[in-house]
Amino acid sequence: MMAVNDDLQAGHPLDEGGRRVGLATFLERTWSGLTGLVRPRSAASLFRLADQYRHEGRYEDAADLIAEGLRSAPNIAVGHLLDAYLHVVFREMPAAKASFRRVLSLDPYHPRALFGLARIALEEGDIEGCRPFLDRAIQYFPDFPEAKALQEMVATWSAPAVAAPTAVGTITTDRLRLPPGARDLILTHSDGTLVFAQGSEERQRQLALHMTQVYRIASATLARAGLGALRRGVVEGASEMTFLRSDGGVILGVALPHEVEAGAGLVQVGRLWTDLNIKA
Amino acid sequence: MADPHGAPDPTAAHDSADGTPRPSRAQAFRETLFELIRLDGVRGGLIVTPDGLVITSELPPRFPVEALAALAATLGRELELGASRLERGAFRTALFSADDGTVFLGGSPVGYVTLVADRNVSVETVRAALGRAVDRLRGTWRTAGLT
Repeated sequence: MMAVNDDLQAGHPLDEGGRRVGLATFLERTWSGLTGLVRPRSAASLFRLADQYRHEGRYEDAADLIAEGLRSAPNIAVGHLLDAYLHVVFREMPAAKASFRRVLSLDPYHPRALFGLARIALEEGDIEGCRPFLDRAIQYFPDFPEAKALQEMVATWSAPAVAAPTAVGTITTDRLRLPPGARDLILTHSDGTLVFAQGSEERQRQLALHMTQVYRIASATLARAGLGALRRGVVEGASEMTFLRSDGGVILGVALPHEVEAGAGLVQVGRLWTDLNIKA
Repeated sequence: MADPHGAPDPTAAHDSADGTPRPSRAQAFRETLFELIRLDGVRGGLIVTPDGLVITSELPPRFPVEALAALAATLGRELELGASRLERGAFRTALFSADDGTVFLGGSPVGYVTLVADRNVSVETVRAALGRAVDRLRGTWRTAGLT
């Protein structure tokens, strides 16, 4: 039998496995390869590949393909949808919003674009703006568990009503055993109404909004997992630890230095809870 | 369920557009999650991107994966935004306890690691492991040249 090198020297075409192939097959494959090199890929195939890369976490490759696809086919909704998804991954929310809106301009009933805009409205704190997007998404696509989960979550929400400054400060901190390094002590009702908070008025407002949102979303997550109502929380940032406690009626939060262990911090916030003698 | 997002099904090959094979980040995600769900008291978990795409999930069948993913992504974004607005440093991990269990969430640029655990789980053990996992996921992001 002739060796591979002998075949090459003899000019016999070989396949990828080094096996000899007929001349017709060889020419056909060569032609196919050449045309594949010069024929532009269709936008649909680019988007399909981009979606696969997105599923694999290869966002940079996906972004390149989407940009290429949209250059050749700027009016394909799925291209703009994938573009919006990547902007969300890169936390480019204004661009994501624009891309989701572009999808809706091409397909006004696109449930995923509606859902995407609902989520952006939610993170902007625009609860009233979020609801119609979710309602429409479910109206057009009733079998949409992600949208239903958020719809049920926001169904009972009202925009957090931060109390007027005159109503704040009714709790004295003198008798509280504030741990060393504690800051951003805050007590709110679960509807977002501020009872007491440390810091400037603007800081109080931001604290109340954030803690209420975290409480609400975390409560919905625990409920979906079948675990019950939120009682305690620990949030680790790079520079601080935030500890939460709730009985369903009120939420107590305090930030402590990053070095504090979760168990010790929860004990500290438990002491504050007792000191405040909280009755919801 | 039928997919309402309208994106095409992934059917193409695993190589990059220029034909160069690259390691799948998704594989790293799966390995990361698999290590975490083997911890005592952890019932399961998932990794979801900020846009709500489930990259990998290892939850018992009774758990509503899509709903949990949507909520986890929403919670992760709120924790990221809050940490930034309140200047508490980048969000890393969180846990929320209820009477019947605890949900852990780890934040990274590529997405959020969510774990569902029993009531008596060792919080510190899971938090430490989750922190290491988050660091690994940040590494995959940096490796790709993203900041």
